[in-house]
Amino acid sequence: MNHRNIQLIESPQKLLSISIFSLIIPGLGQFLQKRYWRGLTIFLSAFLLTFLISWALNTYEIAIIYFGILETSWLFIPLILFWIWNVIDSVNLRNVKTFTPLPGILCAICILFIVAWDVTEVKPNRLIERFNDAKTIATNIANPDYLSVDINGEPEICSWNCLWSNLKNKLSGLPIQNIHLSDNLGDIFGRIRTVSSLGNPIKPTFETGKLIETIAIGLMATIFSTIIAIPLSFLGAKNLMDRVPGGNIIYYFMRTIFNLGRAVDTIVWGILIIVWVGLGSFAGVIALTIHSVAALAKLYSEEIEHIDPGPVEAITASGGNTLQVIRYGVIPQIIPPFLGYTLLRWDINMRSATVVGFVAGGGIGYFVLETIQMGAYQLYAAALWAVAVVIIIVDTISSRLRENIILDKPKPPRKPGVIGYLKPAVYILLGLAAFIYCWNITDINLRSLFQPGPTFLQILKDFTHIDLSFDVLNLVTKQIIITILQAMLATFLGAILAAPASFLAAKNLTGKSRLLAWLYYLTRSVFNFLRSIEALLYAAIFVFWVGIGPFAGMLALTVTTFALIGKLFSEAIENIETGPIEALTATGSNRLQMIFYAIIPQIVPSFVSYIVYQWDINIRMATIIGFAGGGGIGLTLSTFFGSLQYHKAGTVVLFIVVVVALMDFASAKIRETLI
Amino acid sequence: MLKIEHLRKVYPNGVVALNDVNFSVEDGEFLAIIGLSGSGKSTLLRCINRLIEPTSGRITWNGMDITAAKGNEIRKIRRQIGMIFQQFNLVKRSSVYTNVLSGRLGYVDTLPSLLQIFSKADHAKVLKNLEQVDLSEKAHVRADSLSGGQQQRVGIARALMQDPKMILADEPVASLDPVLAHTILKYLEQLNKERGMTVLCSLHFLDLVHRYATSAIALKDGNVVFQGLPKQIDDQQFKAIYGQEAEKISII
Repeated sequence: MNHRNIQLIESPQKLLSISIFSLIIPGLGQFLQKRYWRGLTIFLSAFLLTFLISWALNTYEIAIIYFGILETSWLFIPLILFWIWNVIDSVNLRNVKTFTPLPGILCAICILFIVAWDVTEVKPNRLIERFNDAKTIATNIANPDYLSVDINGEPEICSWNCLWSNLKNKLSGLPIQNIHLSDNLGDIFGRIRTVSSLGNPIKPTFETGKLIETIAIGLMATIFSTIIAIPLSFLGAKNLMDRVPGGNIIYYFMRTIFNLGRAVDTIVWGILIIVWVGLGSFAGVIALTIHSVAALAKLYSEEIEHIDPGPVEAITASGGNTLQVIRYGVIPQIIPPFLGYTLLRWDINMRSATVVGFVAGGGIGYFVLETIQMGAYQLYAAALWAVAVVIIIVDTISSRLRENIILDKPKPPRKPGVIGYLKPAVYILLGLAAFIYCWNITDINLRSLFQPGPTFLQILKDFTHIDLSFDVLNLVTKQIIITILQAMLATFLGAILAAPASFLAAKNLTGKSRLLAWLYYLTRSVFNFLRSIEALLYAAIFVFWVGIGPFAGMLALTVTTFALIGKLFSEAIENIETGPIEALTATGSNRLQMIFYAIIPQIVPSFVSYIVYQWDINIRMATIIGFAGGGGIGLTLSTFFGSLQYHKAGTVVLFIVVVVALMDFASAKIRETLI
Repeated sequence: MLKIEHLRKVYPNGVVALNDVNFSVEDGEFLAIIGLSGSGKSTLLRCINRLIEPTSGRITWNGMDITAAKGNEIRKIRRQIGMIFQQFNLVKRSSVYTNVLSGRLGYVDTLPSLLQIFSKADHAKVLKNLEQVDLSEKAHVRADSLSGGQQQRVGIARALMQDPKMILADEPVASLDPVLAHTILKYLEQLNKERGMTVLCSLHFLDLVHRYATSAIALKDGNVVFQGLPKQIDDQQFKAIYGQEAEKISII
């Protein structure tokens, strides 16, 4: 224990030299003391912050001040403070081995925020100045187009006001209007057609609505991706590939493919796919399938890597052959987690299916895009509410089934004879029928897979020599910085709003109070409701309110962040140890004191880790928010694609992949150190 | 008779788990294998049914050369040797019934077994063996809903499905508390005495060795340092096996 002190006395010269090392190159002092990650992080942070400040100064003149003729940025002040902290840290590391990184982080956050505030064009005054626009859209959203009345032969939307006045008339015996389901409702859910498009009477047929189409897209993508991901996941499982000669190479190859597939968002896959198979639901199915194959295969492989080798050994010892070992020792272990991940993916795919139409042209996403472009916000509202209900139902079913899988009980052996097979047979037939129906309505056309559109070859060619000229790089860099900072602001704003709300949504804190119990259900429902709608759909609202641009995108991301992180936070609070709470209750402290002394210290690490995780998710979302007018790199991508400049679009895709993959890595690393 | 001659196992990382092991076991013996952790007990047991490939040496059992067996022959030998594990090695999510049934896999055709089709006799055997270990009521619950002692009894029932002539038990009671240790070992003793199965069992506690084994060997650093009757292990022997600083601990 004493040698640390001795070292301290021995080495004043060493101390000096370390501080000089860190002064010249930030992080070097830490690096030389074998704290490699710390050193590297400090060095990279200092480098990136310096770059960011001078970039912001040159591009946006952010924080500009003049010293005579010399213009510079006052943001260098917090950077200098960061530098000083780094030197102090390197010295302190020597003495006491630990020193709080808080001042350094604060300086960095300060710089990031000031730049982010400017580049994402945050203008809080607009929220108030354009409050009338907000009121307009809120009214529209509150009055969705589900029912209509005919006025002078023209259908008109009949919402709450109209319903209310008709109800009053009905009660007072006055004549009422003829209320019927609106055309819009038919577009969304489907309708029974009795006349053909030319006006001739036909046999009544059911015409599928956009929402049903969306459900089918999500379902088909989940089925296809599960079927494709299972064999791939075996190739990506280290414990299996180690047994095969050359398997290591296959393992790393597969894992890279999985990570690349995940890094490109469904929407981005969508615009690549439409060039291949053309606009429509099928393109949506493929885009969703590619993304979820990558995500599922990674999760499946990890599950295979974590199986218990015990049963394999036991069945080998009892004389079972390889196939029997797989059937009895491996499959029973992997089926439940595989099913669980597939169900989770189904939930995610349904959410993505609601927006993939923005680019791919199928499902409710395309419908929403059309209504927004027409400015028909009551039609849009009808779709929004319908989506929310469907997603909440899917979410509930998926999580219920997953719970059951975790707790599942083995079934008693099947009853002998026909009856034993009747039930599964009925299920299989129903499933098959649903599958064929979905196949039909999503226009799956396997032949078109092998007859790619002529421009697809052009894409492949252009992607092999992407445009790396200075102008393009400059633009893409600017947009990607906006995207990253937009995601960061949304994460922090969402988290700040969600933190207090999450306490209300934690079941273990409600106690016996009736009021709190009601608030618990209310906040929970708000989180679930807000979570059910994708950021792209929110963007439409904010674009109307604050105008097109990164600010609208940032606000849309804030809403989804609030909902998701609020749920994660409240679950973190629900999972805390009850011992300290009990102890504090015993000392006679009140609820607020309890929160500050027993709960907050327990939840801070998981909160921070969720925030980092959410930032990672938000960056993925921010890369596509531009498709709905939310600014950032998505806007650039859609412009380049729209004008068929594929060699420039390729640059954007490359940037997105690199940034998302790096953030994914950084986020995992940070969360590792936190827990 | 099981005969082990010059058995040697060197792992790829260079660790010599078994140096030069020689001993033999008569049919119907209850042989305890003792030694410190890492002395080679598990490796020795796994070499006997070839879960681990020996580097060199010979294992013969009633005239069969286990070390020379190939492919299907190994499976035929394995199915006559039951094995019980420290961590039970059950499929936790499967039912007790399926776990026990899987002990029969060495005897049935591959295709029907993949569809989980077994003969009536096999199903009857599951019930009989579950009864033998007093777990009849637990047949259709998940394996991991049982206590440790019960799970080990499922492990025994699974081994019994093989109609084994010999049982290898790798620290069968090391994960269990002392009272349960006796229950499990009593089952093994019963199989040994009443059904004449040879039992090779690695154990940690000397008084369990005295109580159940009919003969004993001790391993140290991959060598047999003692072979004889359990009661012959006196203080001096004990120190030779476990090192000078070892103290005898007794359980119940």
